[in-house]
Amino acid sequence: MISVLLFGPVAERAGTATLQFGHRSGLTLQQLRDELAASHPQAFEIVCFTAVNGEQIRDQQSPLADGDEVAFMAKFSGG
Amino acid sequence: MDGIKDAVRIQQEDFSQDEEIRALKSSSQRMGGIATFLGCARDFSEDRAVTRLGFEAYGSMALAEMNRLRDEAMTRFGLLDARIVHRIGTIEAGGQIVFIAAGAEHRGPAFDACRWMIDELKQRVPIWKKEVSPQGDAWVTPHP
Repeated sequence: MISVLLFGPVAERAGTATLQFGHRSGLTLQQLRDELAASHPQAFEIVCFTAVNGEQIRDQQSPLADGDEVAFMAKFSGG
Repeated sequence: MDGIKDAVRIQQEDFSQDEEIRALKSSSQRMGGIATFLGCARDFSEDRAVTRLGFEAYGSMALAEMNRLRDEAMTRFGLLDARIVHRIGTIEAGGQIVFIAAGAEHRGPAFDACRWMIDELKQRVPIWKKEVSPQGDAWVTPHP
């Protein structure tokens, strides 16, 4: 299983802060993103950062491991 | 007597600037300059009244990134010490949001580091702000 975390504006648009996604061999960050974006288009419209296990990842082709925690985040607005 | 709190924190409760500066000063007597930044909740935004703000963080990642940011600032500006405290949850207009302090031997690096840390925090730390106004709530979402 992949644990998907959503925060703030993305969570509000998705109507949830967490999603569970079944892991499959060879699954990449981009594939996960595309599939979730298809079911939550409004939320993913504002996603501009992704993190895997708390580390920001720029390479969307990164493979995901079973048990990974993936966050899809809108632009930050703290401070 | 209470111990000194961590130099980098995310917390719901308010903080005391005096307490943070006292903790910073206690780390070194070579400190000749301390620069601080205090971010506060404004009661307006883009011509709308704002009654309060709500902050949400990706806690573990935000704290790790704030610690990294402090470490980088210490090295880059040769600081003697630095502190970063950010609140989450609901903050009424006029309340304190974020506090940053940089202590150095001289004022130049202290000012530069303080400015650098708040600018970097806004870019790098996963925290989101919601504005609550009489017209309703709205997350602040800068364009991707």
